[in-house]
Amino acid sequence: MAVKFFGQFLVESGIVSQENLLKAIDLQETSNLKFGEIAALLGMLSEADVDRIHTIQRTEDLRFGDIALKLGLLNQDQMQEILTRQKNGHLYIGEALVKVGALSQDELKDHLEAFQADQAAYATGHIAIPGDVGHPKLWEMAADLTCKLLGRVCDINVHSSSAVVCERIEPTDTIAAMAFAGSVNGRYLLAVSDTLRDRIARAILGEKDVSAEPLEVLDDTAMEFVNIVCGNIAAKAAQLGKTMEIFPPAVFHPGPRGIDVPSGQVGLRFPFVEATGEAVSLYFFLPA
Amino acid sequence: MKRVLIADDSISVARQLERIVNSTGEFTTIGHAKNGAEAIRLNQSENPDIIMLDMNMPVMDGLTALRNLAVLDPQVKVVMVTSLGGVGDKYAEAIRLGARNVISKPFEAENVLKVLRSL
Repeated sequence: MAVKFFGQFLVESGIVSQENLLKAIDLQETSNLKFGEIAALLGMLSEADVDRIHTIQRTEDLRFGDIALKLGLLNQDQMQEILTRQKNGHLYIGEALVKVGALSQDELKDHLEAFQADQAAYATGHIAIPGDVGHPKLWEMAADLTCKLLGRVCDINVHSSSAVVCERIEPTDTIAAMAFAGSVNGRYLLAVSDTLRDRIARAILGEKDVSAEPLEVLDDTAMEFVNIVCGNIAAKAAQLGKTMEIFPPAVFHPGPRGIDVPSGQVGLRFPFVEATGEAVSLYFFLPA
Repeated sequence: MKRVLIADDSISVARQLERIVNSTGEFTTIGHAKNGAEAIRLNQSENPDIIMLDMNMPVMDGLTALRNLAVLDPQVKVVMVTSLGGVGDKYAEAIRLGARNVISKPFEAENVLKVLRSL
C-alpha cells in the first residue's frame, strides 16, 4: 500500500532474501561513484576542490556540479561528460541483484514488470508548477502523491491541476506540517477544514465515529497522515536521486488569521479541489 | 503469548497497532513508548519479546534506539514500522543494525500480523 523501492518489493514478495538485498546494496555503494569522485578520477577537480564544494553545499541548496560551474572549476562540456559517465555507469539495484547471484536476467525482467504494476497507483500525474520555482518535478510529485494518499488512506478524493506562488496561508481550521532537509530544504503544510480532519481521524484510527475524541487525538491523526505522506514523498524523492530527511510533525490552528510565509522564503500553494467542496490545500515553504 | 512493546510518538498509531496486535490472542501489547529513549527504558523494565519501532520520533529517533538496543539487548526482536520504509538507505540501515523486518506506513493489519508471526 506504500511507495516501495524495488529491492524492498522483492524481499516482501519472498523473491530475494534480506541478506542478498544487503549484498546488492553494498555492491551498489562501491560501484556507483558520486559526481565529485568521477570529476577527481578524470583529473578535472583536485581533492581540495571537492572538499571546498562539499563545504559550500552545507549552506547552499545547490548541486555539486552547479557549484563547480559557479566557481569556474568546471565548464559545461566537462559537467556533461561527468553526468554522462555517471548515468552510463550507474548500477541499478536489479542489476546488482543479478551480479550477486540473487536473480537471473529473465527473472529480473519479470519481477520488474510486476513491481511497476504494483506501484502504478503512485505514478506521478501532471500538475503545472510556476516556472521560477526550483525542483519543479519534486513538488509536482509531492502534490500528486498527497492527492493519491488522501484518496487511498482517507477516502478523500481531491485533485490539483496547477500550483501558485503565495504570500500567506489562507484562513483555515487545522494545518499539519513537517519540516524536511537534504537535497532540498523546506516545510510541507497540509491545511484542512475540521470536517476533513475528522475524516482523516476516522481513517487513521479505524473508527466510524470520532466525535468524542479529544482535540489532541484528532490533531495527532492529522500529524500522522502528514508523516505517512512525507515518508512516502521521501521514498519517491530517493527514486529521483534526491535525499529528504524528515522531522517530527507539528500542528497549528491559525483560524481566521492564516499564516504569513516567513521572510526569505517562498510559498507554493496547491489549491486542491475536493469532491464535496470542503477546503483543503497543500503548501510548501521553500528557501527563496 | 508473545509480549510486544510499541514505540511511536503518535498516539493514534499506537492505538491502531495495539488493536491489531491484540486482535488474535497470539500477542499482547505491554506498553507504549513515545520516543527511542523511552523504548530503551521500557525494554529494560518490561522485557518484551518484540519491539515495534518507528523511525521518525523526537528526543531519540528509531534508528538510534535500534543501534543502542543491538548492544544492550541483542535478543529482543525489533520490527521497524515507518513511513520511511520505501527509502532504500533507511531500509538497508535498519536491517544492517539488526531489525528483523521493516513495515511501511500506511500498513495493513494482515501484513503486520504476518510479520509478527514470522519472528
